[in-house]
Amino acid sequence: MGSKAAAKIRLALPKGKMLNRTAEFLDVIGLGFDDYTSKTRIYRLRSQAFPSLTAKMLNERDIPVQVAIGNYDFGICSSDWLQELQARYPASNVHKVADLDYDNAGIFLACAVGNELEAEVRIKGGADCRIVTEYPALAEAAAYKMRLRKFRIFPLWGSADAYPPENAELAVLRAGDENALRSLNLTPLKKIGASSACIIANKQSLQARDFSSMLARLSRAHVIKEKPGGKEAKPASLPANNYAPGTTKGDIWLALADGHQQVHTAAFLEKAGIKMEGYSMDDLRRRPSCSIDGINVKVIRPQDMPQQVANSNFDLAITGRDWMLDHLYQFPSSPVMELVNLGFGRVMVVAVVSKGVLYDTIDGIKELINRGKMTPLRIASEYVNIADKYLRDRHIARYRVIPTWGATEVYLPEDADMLIENTETGQTLARHGLKIIDTLFESTACLIGNRRNLASAGKRAKIDKLVRIFKEAAEQK
Amino acid sequence: MENQRCKGARDLLPEDMERFRQVEDAFRNSCINWGYKEIKTPTLEYIHLFTAAGTLTPAMLGRVYSFLDWDGWGGERVVLRPDGTIPVARLFSENMATNEIARLYYVTNVFAFEETGKENREKWQCGVELLGDCEATSEAEIIALALEVLNTLGVTKYALKLSHAGVLKALIEEMQLDSEEKAKLLDEILEGNWQALASVNGGNRKTAGIISTLMKLKGKSSGFLVNLGAMPGLSRSLNKELDSFVRVADLLDTLGVKYIIDFTSVRGFEYYTGLCFKITTKGSKICSGGRYDNLVKLVGGVDIPACGFAFYLDELASQVKPWSRQKAEKTVVIRVGKKTTPSISASFEIASALRNAGLTAEFDFCGSQLAARWSIMVTDKLERFTVKDESSGLQRKVKSIDAVINIIGGFDKIGK
Repeated sequence: MGSKAAAKIRLALPKGKMLNRTAEFLDVIGLGFDDYTSKTRIYRLRSQAFPSLTAKMLNERDIPVQVAIGNYDFGICSSDWLQELQARYPASNVHKVADLDYDNAGIFLACAVGNELEAEVRIKGGADCRIVTEYPALAEAAAYKMRLRKFRIFPLWGSADAYPPENAELAVLRAGDENALRSLNLTPLKKIGASSACIIANKQSLQARDFSSMLARLSRAHVIKEKPGGKEAKPASLPANNYAPGTTKGDIWLALADGHQQVHTAAFLEKAGIKMEGYSMDDLRRRPSCSIDGINVKVIRPQDMPQQVANSNFDLAITGRDWMLDHLYQFPSSPVMELVNLGFGRVMVVAVVSKGVLYDTIDGIKELINRGKMTPLRIASEYVNIADKYLRDRHIARYRVIPTWGATEVYLPEDADMLIENTETGQTLARHGLKIIDTLFESTACLIGNRRNLASAGKRAKIDKLVRIFKEAAEQK
Repeated sequence: MENQRCKGARDLLPEDMERFRQVEDAFRNSCINWGYKEIKTPTLEYIHLFTAAGTLTPAMLGRVYSFLDWDGWGGERVVLRPDGTIPVARLFSENMATNEIARLYYVTNVFAFEETGKENREKWQCGVELLGDCEATSEAEIIALALEVLNTLGVTKYALKLSHAGVLKALIEEMQLDSEEKAKLLDEILEGNWQALASVNGGNRKTAGIISTLMKLKGKSSGFLVNLGAMPGLSRSLNKELDSFVRVADLLDTLGVKYIIDFTSVRGFEYYTGLCFKITTKGSKICSGGRYDNLVKLVGGVDIPACGFAFYLDELASQVKPWSRQKAEKTVVIRVGKKTTPSISASFEIASALRNAGLTAEFDFCGSQLAARWSIMVTDKLERFTVKDESSGLQRKVKSIDAVINIIGGFDKIGK
């Protein structure tokens, strides 16, 4: 980083659920940014009050990591992600400056309603516990503390509430309070942490530079209080958890995507003549009801599907080829395989650099690296394993993969040198001043299954039937 | 050149390896002479082996190197061996469970993360496990074995400190705390925070008095423990644990082993059930061990008593004078005046004769300035050999190989 950049104060601000309250807080303390709104298409923000203050909008989960590695001096995020980072990396260079009194929540260990006794017996008796969570480090620390004898943690991108009891005995998840958890048909067993919005700083920045005027403003943090009834709104796209004990009706489990793939998947299912009650925009449930007998359906994140199919929690899933490959690159002998190319949701997975970079190919980048520039190469990507394999296969000597949770375009050129990203048309990339230097593969939605379960006598007929229906629908024009 | 070594990783250079091998050899020889058999366990183990209740403390588990293997989609993590004993318990239960008694030893590396990177994250241990015997004689045996190894290595200034996990755990039980408080207190003590014991509110007052005595006083004979046992208010279970401690201390007294009883001298004793001991020298911990009667059962094996210890090879090796320094006394560097055929031939001849006489002969034809106690310059002249004592600078010219050996073998003859 040059001296010009060093004079600036770099702030990382959250996108998503924390954005409105954070914007309100910044306005109150006189640090407001005009373009810091959920509708903005600008990721780089400038402050009217502080010309030296620049801000970028990141996924809140990425903020503690980005502050810790020194890309930002300050950040505002939910403290659960800070705790998660510190549980995994106690020595990370990040310091909590102040708690902010909004976005309050707890981190709970929970089981499905009606399964309290079984969960207790497992915990005490040392039987194998599957724990699903977006907080693997916090969950692991809690499991050690509780002296769980045998447990497996499945890190998730989200939707942890969907898994218990069939696909996990326990979940570690965030909820406003115990009642919020109960409304998801989960029973809290233990509160393992509390969380609120907070201001964090890079330790080295704090030690080396004068931020007194900025800190004076931030210290007005106490003026923001949780408004009565102003609890975090439930995002509209979050499916309702309609679990009730005893509703499982068959032995085949199909996973469908939530998020932006939901609309396309629903349309495909309709084309295939499969009725899925509770899988539409206006009625989205964790467990839609399927018109075909003996099929249980759950709505989870597409990123989490391949591993869940590999470990037989699900038999079939509709996900992207990108996520299947990312899984296979991490676990080369995984039993997951593509059964049907469904054709929709087409994107290209590409290597991207900033337009300012002189070269247009990966060989050009290699040349730059050989000349001692861009080393170690910093690659930001949601596809950690695809990025890792891509660089390994091209014999890039020193590189660092920076895992992100979305909105990766914003990282170039300051916080990363290259991205492995997906793009439909390339227009968004171009708008952000980025260029594609390599295309890794084309990804579409596909039906994936588990090689081993396909051979299982009990399941085979039902799986075959579904595969046939999907194939026919995919072949229709 | 840029440092490419991983943070917290250590290169072992020739001198380090000499020290290592010296410790290993002394350890191995003693183990073999005492009837112990060598084993090796794999570097990778499943993490649940170490999460089994009462094996590693939460703080230690928070520093293991664990990851999902290439086939780890089932969520089962593997770990780089963080401890030497627990894998041995597994090895025993899987392969040797029908043995009534087993004396095993190993030399192994263990891995634990350390934040600053200044300490080693990969460390070496020489350990023994004696499985199948619950008598105090086994503890006395392993302590005597450890002391023999130290003696062989010339490490004579050390302190042996004894504590007892059974007594400590019985005391915590007697405090009558609720399970959450008890777990918290145990975690603190396992991390070496003994103040936590004194500052517990509530619980049993009598116990608090006993605890304060245990923390303040240090004993030097089994009589100290007998005195403690005679104090009022001790429960039967606490007395039973103290009795087991007395038996070991008695035996050590009989064997003339000097020790200090210091209940606060141990930490991380999660899987220990009875005696715990540690040996320190010049402020560094070089050995620790004790009794862990439940361990084999905890990892899914048979119910068999066990005790053992491990030397911390990195620390112990640094206390040992390496062979090369000892050997330097007996090393002769051979140089030539001019590299002529006769002088090189004579060099080989004298080197061979010196080696046959039990000395180390090392050529220095390129003038690499090798350092040794002795050097010989070989020339084509009549008095072919100039023998020099590098420590005093004195030298003498002689004609024959016998004369050279005579000088070097007869240390004080040179220069006279």
